[in-house]
Amino acid sequence: MIDPMKKSLLIFIYFLYLSSFAQTKEETPGVHCDCFIHGVVLDNTTKEPIVGAVVFVKEQNKGTITDINGHYHIANLCQGTYTVVGRIVGYQEKTYTIKLLHEAEQEIKLSEGELHLANIDIKAEKIDNLTQTKNVLENAALDQNRGQSLGETLKQISGVTTLQTGSSIAKPVIHGMHSNRVLIMNNGVRQEGQQWGSEHAPEIDPFVAKKITVLKGAAGVRYGSDAIAGVIMLEPEALPDSTRMSGEINTVYFTNGNQIVTSGIFEGGIRPKKAAVPQSFGYRVQGTFKRGGDISTPDYRLSNTGVSEINFSVSADYKRRNWQSEIFFSQFNTQIGVFAGSHIGNVTDLIEAIKRGSPLNIYTPEKFTYTIGRPYQDVQHNLMKLKSTHQLKSGKLSLTLGRQYNYRKEVDILRGDKNLIQLFQLTTYTGELLFEHKPLFKLLTGSVGINTNFQQNLTTGTLREPRSSTVLIPNFQNLTGGVFLIERIVKNQWEVEGGLRYDFRNLDVYRIPRGQQAKVESKKQNENFTGTFGLNFRPNSQLNFLFNLSSAWRAPTVNELYSDGVHHGAASYEKGDENLNAEVATNLSFTANYITKLFQLELHLYNNYIRNFIFLSPTGRPTLTIRGAFPEFWYAQTNARFRGIDLSGNFQIHKHISLNSKLSYLQAQDITHTQPLIMIPPNRWENTLRYEWKKSGISLTNLYVARQSRVPTKVIFSEIPTDEIIFNQYGGDFAPPPSAYMLWSAAFTQQLKFNNRNGIYISLTVNNLLNTSYRDYLNRFRYFADEIGRNFVIRAKYSL
Amino acid sequence: MQKNRITISGLFAFALLFSLVACKDTSVDVEEENETITTVKLNFTSGGTTQTFVFNDPDGDGGNAPTKFDNISLKPNTSYTLTVELLDESKNPSESITEEVKEESDEHLFVFTPSPASLFTYTYGDKDARNFPIGLTGTLQTGATGTGKLKVQLRHQPPVNGKEVKDGTPIPGSDDVNLDFNVNIQ
Repeated sequence: MIDPMKKSLLIFIYFLYLSSFAQTKEETPGVHCDCFIHGVVLDNTTKEPIVGAVVFVKEQNKGTITDINGHYHIANLCQGTYTVVGRIVGYQEKTYTIKLLHEAEQEIKLSEGELHLANIDIKAEKIDNLTQTKNVLENAALDQNRGQSLGETLKQISGVTTLQTGSSIAKPVIHGMHSNRVLIMNNGVRQEGQQWGSEHAPEIDPFVAKKITVLKGAAGVRYGSDAIAGVIMLEPEALPDSTRMSGEINTVYFTNGNQIVTSGIFEGGIRPKKAAVPQSFGYRVQGTFKRGGDISTPDYRLSNTGVSEINFSVSADYKRRNWQSEIFFSQFNTQIGVFAGSHIGNVTDLIEAIKRGSPLNIYTPEKFTYTIGRPYQDVQHNLMKLKSTHQLKSGKLSLTLGRQYNYRKEVDILRGDKNLIQLFQLTTYTGELLFEHKPLFKLLTGSVGINTNFQQNLTTGTLREPRSSTVLIPNFQNLTGGVFLIERIVKNQWEVEGGLRYDFRNLDVYRIPRGQQAKVESKKQNENFTGTFGLNFRPNSQLNFLFNLSSAWRAPTVNELYSDGVHHGAASYEKGDENLNAEVATNLSFTANYITKLFQLELHLYNNYIRNFIFLSPTGRPTLTIRGAFPEFWYAQTNARFRGIDLSGNFQIHKHISLNSKLSYLQAQDITHTQPLIMIPPNRWENTLRYEWKKSGISLTNLYVARQSRVPTKVIFSEIPTDEIIFNQYGGDFAPPPSAYMLWSAAFTQQLKFNNRNGIYISLTVNNLLNTSYRDYLNRFRYFADEIGRNFVIRAKYSL
Repeated sequence: MQKNRITISGLFAFALLFSLVACKDTSVDVEEENETITTVKLNFTSGGTTQTFVFNDPDGDGGNAPTKFDNISLKPNTSYTLTVELLDESKNPSESITEEVKEESDEHLFVFTPSPASLFTYTYGDKDARNFPIGLTGTLQTGATGTGKLKVQLRHQPPVNGKEVKDGTPIPGSDDVNLDFNVNIQ
């Protein structure tokens, strides 16, 4: 940050600078001249915004100064290629080349000091999905949440919550939907393995990502099936193309559970000076280590809730004139202890546990340990990605290939050495060929692409010869493919986007039905068309309106089709339905954005109608097994509607004080049976008051989560005689939704700089400041245990 | 043109490398399956004669309903020796689970609960290494004539994080067996 004296001096220099140019305006006939460039100027080391930096377009003699948040906005530019220069005293000047069609976003990163640095050409910026609401987490927003799981990190976006199994397994929930309905794009490849079941957390190390984008709403046209509630995109920073080596070390310590997280990144490049053709080579290595022991609620410690993780990734690329190839490999390894008190034998055990109110003493030990015992999960996820991009005269062609291998072991408490309950081995190949064409008739931009996905799951025997009938997910082979076209027209303040897609899926399942000896082969085929239409209107530089109508679809997955067995942690008997149809979502949304220097507001309204929505619904009837009675759950289909409001605002109350407010409101209705849907996140409101001075900041956050009052009241299956229904009290649930709760947290952040390259960012956060005991409706362990208590978090980031 | 060819061959080389890495045929064996108990046999012995009452659900959880769920009929004011047998008949040949329970007696406990309580009294006849009862064998003393239920539970009480939890009470752990037999004392 720069003090006011310096700032006024800079403004003065800037005006001198501008007046030294001849003020001539050139207009080329037939080209639009209402384009604009905007973005933020950052300190390359600390990633802090720079106030008062000069940003100008060399060819047009147009410039501006960054505002209090480091933002700049240069409007009324004609289409064309421009050189954008960012400069401020004390930093080196930096130049970017931008191909401007309508709007371009360019982040300008300035380095301190007078190090020599050649002007580097950055490839033309393109903006995806301008007509769909997206929220981005990067820089400070990520730094403040380092060390947490992906699900926890995303919670700061309004409309995003988590579905938890204890404290260590968290899945992102967008607008009330999760798992199969949230698509995760990990470095450009769709993550395969996390979809089934609420206890399969995304196998992703968030430290790999420098930027996390959340697209809210159906996005089936660009991303294919499953993108019903939204898409989460994790992207690392572009590989370096200069010879400078740099790195970053992050360390985080959580007092609750004595959790230590350390992650490091090291990167560099080679740029031959005397090559005939300009070329460069970049590389990066990255690794993360995490170790945590038993966590504590305000009143007791939870046995066997430790976690351990070791992850690494390597990537390299080669750029040569109009061609670029990239290779990326990552491995994620985790062991997660599952709370020992959660192994429930049957419904009697569960009811006893609920009655007790808190877990038995044997599950809440005095002594802390890092040891992970049974039950636990052991997961490995490998991702290899190859990407080649070729710049042609007519556009850009890129090919992305991915291979993923997901190995998951779920170990439960069984007799003796017989403890391996489930084993999944999922191998997935993905391919995408994408062509982004240059503007046609100087008006139409867009892309056309082909996706394929081939997947094999092995849980027993060999693929076609299963040996066991007791597996939860049978062996299967899945082939999907799709083609899509998205086109966009930009005219004055308007932007229109439309797209179409066709998909097919072939699923072959090889299984032995429960209790039988012979193998059964089933084949399922689905196909579908999806479409999208979006409109973006910018009446002025402060206002922006988005309107979007999109569809997405999802074919039923193997667990929805063929589940047949007891789910231990949930004390439920789950049964699939072979005759389920594909579900289709139609999402209508409207977003308004208002931004001034002191005030930012985003309002997002949505209505997602899902035909044939597949969900697990209680029958209210017990299934008798030798272990006692289990409540029965069937996979069923209904027409559902998710509608809600996400509101977020930022108000600069005073030079140093700002208030941030986020509200998520959601109503999910089972239209067919005219009652609310089960397991929908309650409404929440979060407020943060922040005081900032120089390079320090203090903040206080209050989160209010209401009680979920909208829960189902009746069993939906008409074929079940009423006299057989015994679990009818909470619409099939075992306990009423927990009460509303309020949590306070506080944070202190401090930047320290040693010289122009090296710096340290330190923060101290206290989560659950008042050590409040509470339970969350979307935590599957809410029946038997409280949520995590007070937790001090110390974070340090060292850039070198 | 030359450059294009290099690019295309580069892409193919990648694709080839990729498919090489990919080819691997594997077989998985989950020998260690979920614990299945399909059959519970209660043997009541008194004065040299043994009566056996059976619960049998050959296909395990769900699927078809249990094929056999006997009503227990006993004589009043009689002392019986009660032994329990557990079988997994979903496998061929069938497997005895009784042996496993015996081997891991330090983490298993049978619980026999009469309702009404006046129906009978039960006394454990065996002990594990830590002197806690097991219940594979015991004595059941019937009361006066009447009808009611006998709840048979096998509590599985494995150590938590390496620490023993079995304390002779049914509270810790979870049910491996939980059956309500109809009892007729006449």
